[in-house]
Amino acid sequence: MIDLPSRKKVIREFQKKGGKIAAVLPIRYPRELFRAFGFLPVEVWGPPHADVTLGGSHLQSYTCDIVRNAVSFLLSGGLDRTDLILVPHTCDSLQGMGSVLLDFVHPKQKVLTLYHPRGVRKADFDFLTEELKRLCGELSDWTGGEPPPGAFWEAIYREETADRALARLYRDRELLGLSDREFYRIVRSREFLPAEDFIENEKKLARREKRSTSGVPILLSGIVPEPMDLFDEIETMGARVVADDLACGTRRLYKSGHSEDPFVRMAERLFSAPPDPTRGSPISERADHLKNLIRKSGAKGVLIYDVKFCEPELFDVPLLRKKLEAEGTPVNYVEFEMGKILSQQTLTRIEAFIEMIG
Amino acid sequence: MKALAALGIDVGSSTCKIVGVDESGELIWHLLEQADPRAEDQVQRFLKAAEQKFGPLKAVPFVATGYGRKLVKDAAKNITEISCHAKGVYHELQKPGTLVDIGGQDSKVIVIGAGGRVVDFAMNDKCAAGTGRFLENTAGRLHVPLEALGKTALSADREETISSTCTVFAESEIISLVAHGVAVEPILKGLHRSLVSRIVAMIRSVGLVSPLMLSGGVARNEAMRKLLEEETGEKVHLPQYPQLMGAYGAALIGLKNG
Repeated sequence: MIDLPSRKKVIREFQKKGGKIAAVLPIRYPRELFRAFGFLPVEVWGPPHADVTLGGSHLQSYTCDIVRNAVSFLLSGGLDRTDLILVPHTCDSLQGMGSVLLDFVHPKQKVLTLYHPRGVRKADFDFLTEELKRLCGELSDWTGGEPPPGAFWEAIYREETADRALARLYRDRELLGLSDREFYRIVRSREFLPAEDFIENEKKLARREKRSTSGVPILLSGIVPEPMDLFDEIETMGARVVADDLACGTRRLYKSGHSEDPFVRMAERLFSAPPDPTRGSPISERADHLKNLIRKSGAKGVLIYDVKFCEPELFDVPLLRKKLEAEGTPVNYVEFEMGKILSQQTLTRIEAFIEMIG
Repeated sequence: MKALAALGIDVGSSTCKIVGVDESGELIWHLLEQADPRAEDQVQRFLKAAEQKFGPLKAVPFVATGYGRKLVKDAAKNITEISCHAKGVYHELQKPGTLVDIGGQDSKVIVIGAGGRVVDFAMNDKCAAGTGRFLENTAGRLHVPLEALGKTALSADREETISSTCTVFAESEIISLVAHGVAVEPILKGLHRSLVSRIVAMIRSVGLVSPLMLSGGVARNEAMRKLLEEETGEKVHLPQYPQLMGAYGAALIGLKNG
């Protein structure tokens, strides 16, 4: 088993070497661009430890916990060691958060935004490429310079290598001999580890003979599996996660780009990810993608585990459910509030679903 | 006295139930009490009572269900109330269909397939509206004993619309109606209608498969049965002991698994 450092430790080590830290909100952004400018992107997926009334005073009551917790975390000093905050326009709540930070909260860190297109047409691709150029320009203005020669391409190649390592982890998950919790701890270390460390860790993981595994195989969909105790509970209930459609998981399996223009190449990579409601992917594409994952993994059911008020996810759920159930795959939708513990009600729904498909 | 073959215990939010079955799966013994906050003590009391009645329980399979199922350390297995209600009702009524289980803290709609297998389910556990607590709360406010609630509601020749979807606001609405001199009966009928409409929305979300069946403590309320029939156009089938179906299903699972 790999000994993974905490986010705090990674931040301290990176800063010791003279690096800067970018706090990044979910889901998509060009890691390589930040690394080229000397920043380590460290992602913030709604840490549950801050007083949520702090964020609540700036946000509507129907804002999701990822955003509420992130604003609360910021206001309670949780992001004090970071130098800038990037808020991608993943959904309306995150766009709102970007505005709230810029117009009202005025944190000490520089706040940058990244507007994502909603679609995969040529016009969307061109828009994203221009957005990446704008973001680069803002980083350049704020840091007072360009990345050193070669740093850009070095960062691009390194992140592409790390993403290939992530894809190998998924490909070999049955050979790694890891529990679901251990596996997803490693997958999610991509949220804060420098790419070079992630690549080294992936190399260290030994592949073994495929063993027969017990437990009802399920596919886990949603944004983020928090708290990570979820995996222990699923295991105790007699099931195992054999595939995922998580925004912090396989929805970020980016392929390597081809272009020799760095901005086009970064856009190619972001566009190469599997279908995702936050990108405006057609429901039929998502359904086909999930059917493929179900077929390959042998999952007997799909558990959609979504943070409360996640609008992009909610739009897709009814149709997605209908399409998957029509193919004979049972689907259960469970909504959760992001906290330190899982509620008994949430667990009962999941357990009943596992009993149902088991 | 028939020999005890398996025990099932349902540690619910309002009541705690234990059921004993014989080799054929017939319900031969039960106890039902208001839920004790110290669930473990209550379970021990129940087990002692079973021991007094049937002798040593060592070889008797024992399955726990309900909200507090994980607190029952002596149980051979913990199974959710969804699976247990389905199993219990199927065994008694001997047919697949759609089961509505209205408990003290939540309500569920379970589509039951052949053999008592759960095919699909919907669950309301986020809001008191749509649960037995909703009725309990308002019955208390109107000073109507819980057991007379259904009969009183059905005695009304008209009904008041309760539009609030929240228990707390519904209570305010009722206070306002009482202040305007409206009689208790039409208020109660409107209240039942409001609860039934929420349940019907849940039934629609999973799709109604006939026949419609009802379990849980609220099944004893005749207004709920009547209005559910009115709203769905389906006859509602009741097991003999609707409140015991979770514990009964647990015992049957214990019996099957030995």
